[in-house]
Amino acid sequence: MAAVELLPSVIDPDEAIADRRARLQLVGDRVAPMALARERTLPLLDELISLFPEGLRRGSTVSVAGSGSTALALAVAAAASTAGSWVAVVGDPDLGLAAAEEAGVALQRMLVVDPEPSSWSAAVAALVGAVDIVLVAPRHRVRDAEARRLSGRLRERGSVLVCTNGRWPSGADVQLEVVESKWSGLGCGHGVLQSRRVTVNGGGRGASARPRSADMLLPGPLGRPEFVHVEAPALATQG
Amino acid sequence: MVVPVRTLVAWCPDWPVVATGVPLDELVAVVHANQIVASSPSAREQGVVRGLRRRVAQARCADLQLHERDEAREARTFEPVIGTLDNITPRIEVIRPGTCAVITRGPSRYFGGDEKVAGLIREAMGTVLNGRTEVRIGVADGSFAAELAARAAQPTRLIPQGEVAEFLAPMRVAVLERPELADVLVRLGIDTLGAFAALPATDVLARFGSDGLAAHRLASGLDERPPDARHPPVDWSVSAEIDPPALQVDRVAFVARSLADEFHQRLGRAGVTCVRVAIEAETEFGEEFVRLWRHEGTLSDAAVADRVRWQLDGWLNGSAVTRPSGGISRVSLMPDELIAAKGRQLGFWGGETEVDERAARVAARLQGQLGADAVRVVERRGGRHFSERLMLVPAATVELRGRTLFDDSEQPPWPGGLPTPSPTRVVAAPRPVEVLDKAGEPVQVDGRGLLSSPPTELRNNRTRVEVAAWAGPWPIDERWWDAETHRRQARFQIVTSDGVARMLTLEGGQWWVTAVWD
Repeated sequence: MAAVELLPSVIDPDEAIADRRARLQLVGDRVAPMALARERTLPLLDELISLFPEGLRRGSTVSVAGSGSTALALAVAAAASTAGSWVAVVGDPDLGLAAAEEAGVALQRMLVVDPEPSSWSAAVAALVGAVDIVLVAPRHRVRDAEARRLSGRLRERGSVLVCTNGRWPSGADVQLEVVESKWSGLGCGHGVLQSRRVTVNGGGRGASARPRSADMLLPGPLGRPEFVHVEAPALATQG
Repeated sequence: MVVPVRTLVAWCPDWPVVATGVPLDELVAVVHANQIVASSPSAREQGVVRGLRRRVAQARCADLQLHERDEAREARTFEPVIGTLDNITPRIEVIRPGTCAVITRGPSRYFGGDEKVAGLIREAMGTVLNGRTEVRIGVADGSFAAELAARAAQPTRLIPQGEVAEFLAPMRVAVLERPELADVLVRLGIDTLGAFAALPATDVLARFGSDGLAAHRLASGLDERPPDARHPPVDWSVSAEIDPPALQVDRVAFVARSLADEFHQRLGRAGVTCVRVAIEAETEFGEEFVRLWRHEGTLSDAAVADRVRWQLDGWLNGSAVTRPSGGISRVSLMPDELIAAKGRQLGFWGGETEVDERAARVAARLQGQLGADAVRVVERRGGRHFSERLMLVPAATVELRGRTLFDDSEQPPWPGGLPTPSPTRVVAAPRPVEVLDKAGEPVQVDGRGLLSSPPTELRNNRTRVEVAAWAGPWPIDERWWDAETHRRQARFQIVTSDGVARMLTLEGGQWWVTAVWD
């Protein structure tokens, strides 16, 4: 700041003020109390950014579907979890913990909750607001009213709900679907599973309604999602 | 200066061990979150002391029996012991299972002196305990000094009125149970309560804040806080009717949970909390049961709900004489002695952060609602199977605040483990499946790990899918030295034509789907 004041002739004063405003805004965002949580977003992996036009907005619902939805849901939670958020997994005891860790979910900040179907809704409602990301895999049909009630609570408390098996009633804020997937690394009697190339289509409501699509390795060879590296065409070596 | 109210504390040593039902002369210890919380005298002689890690304790004493801590059991077994005191005084306060406090003013006047009362209480508790452990009794001004007197008792210790400060003076500052404060004091060269009490109170307040001042008051033989003459202007108690009357603890516990929530909200709105909470139950035939529990603003909703559950458990499963004759029809919580709520200070750097605190709170709350096993967290173990490397343990057994997992990324991989990526679903109850070759015959693996023919089709009773790619077998031969637990398996990775990758395991001629890469 002092440097700016010493060099008034070099820097346009309007620009300097705008710069200060921007910096102040940045500091303000960083120290903003929880009440403003819904105005903010949670971090996302670079590979997924193109699928979330608004970013991973607090208070939103995300529904993932298709073959590979579990890996995609873990990838959605990964960056926020690494950054310090807690993740709760509700009603999904089969979730592969090793896969979650490889995807980037911090297991020390993960709660695994197995409620009876009758108390499913109450358990999810209790977790909303207490943890930043709630991964749900409802085994029953979630009623519209139930979903609406939870959505309202999400908006109020600023958590993100990710439905990992596509059983969320219509109207999730962000809807992702794995439409194409192809494994590589495995042959006939040899090799080992290495990576899966998927195409994810996105839709949703509001600003997220714009159709979009992304290709990625989900999982990549190390378990976390990766960009697809387009191989350069081989150079002609003759001549 | 107001002298603290004269209090008698009865302490049953090693209560968590006694509650397990194992005689104290055996080598026993009770663990919680991988740490020893209590041990029997004989185990202590071998060096098994509080705060030790489970492994270290087992290394010091190979024959040690370990029991998981069960506070509900501790409270349940303690209830009959204090239940016998109801004939001596109606006002018994449970500080924690194994320790209770009694205000001696009334009973002493009636029975003729503190010594008489102490004798009566010892006799009554001794009869119920029946030699399982001893009872130590301390009488002093204020429950802090009385508890220390009980710990120093052989077997009864009465500190005469007005001599509390002298009794406390030679004690170490660690007995204040404020580790951070004690640490600083020792480094300042103040290692006894007497030396701490000699500091001017105003300077202590300036340097250590209100909590330091409270500790200073204790060290000086005063009450932790000046008595508050405020009388509850309104009735703060909350109660709930239970209809139809309940004989099972679970049903009442469910009500207790919301009751505790309401209780704290009402107190919180007025900015107060209470020293003790009275838990009262009424049966359908009009019997009333009351017990006081120590609170001091430190108990969360879940902790109060727990105490209600323990207390009801103690009443409903107690001896036939004291057991309620009917179902519980009403439960109430009443605050006793209101004090200003200061809230709990959260750490700034390190220590507890707010996100951890919130997660820990919701975990505790859900455990109260869904049962302790329904809320779990991840612990790292070793093993070849996906289900072995990382395990889920009940959240109650682990400290969630500021948690770290043992980092094994530096460790060499487990021999026989599969490379990344790991499957996203590990099927807890594997599904049987048929694996067929081109001729429609089941695929088998012989004793040398050779495949009978390449798999081409997966089939279960409903569907059939074609195999697109496969690899294996990766054999596992575990615990071959033990006929009972010996496992011999062959694992395969199979991608089917629909693009799904599965892990199949062949064991004893039967194929199972054990994991899926979803």
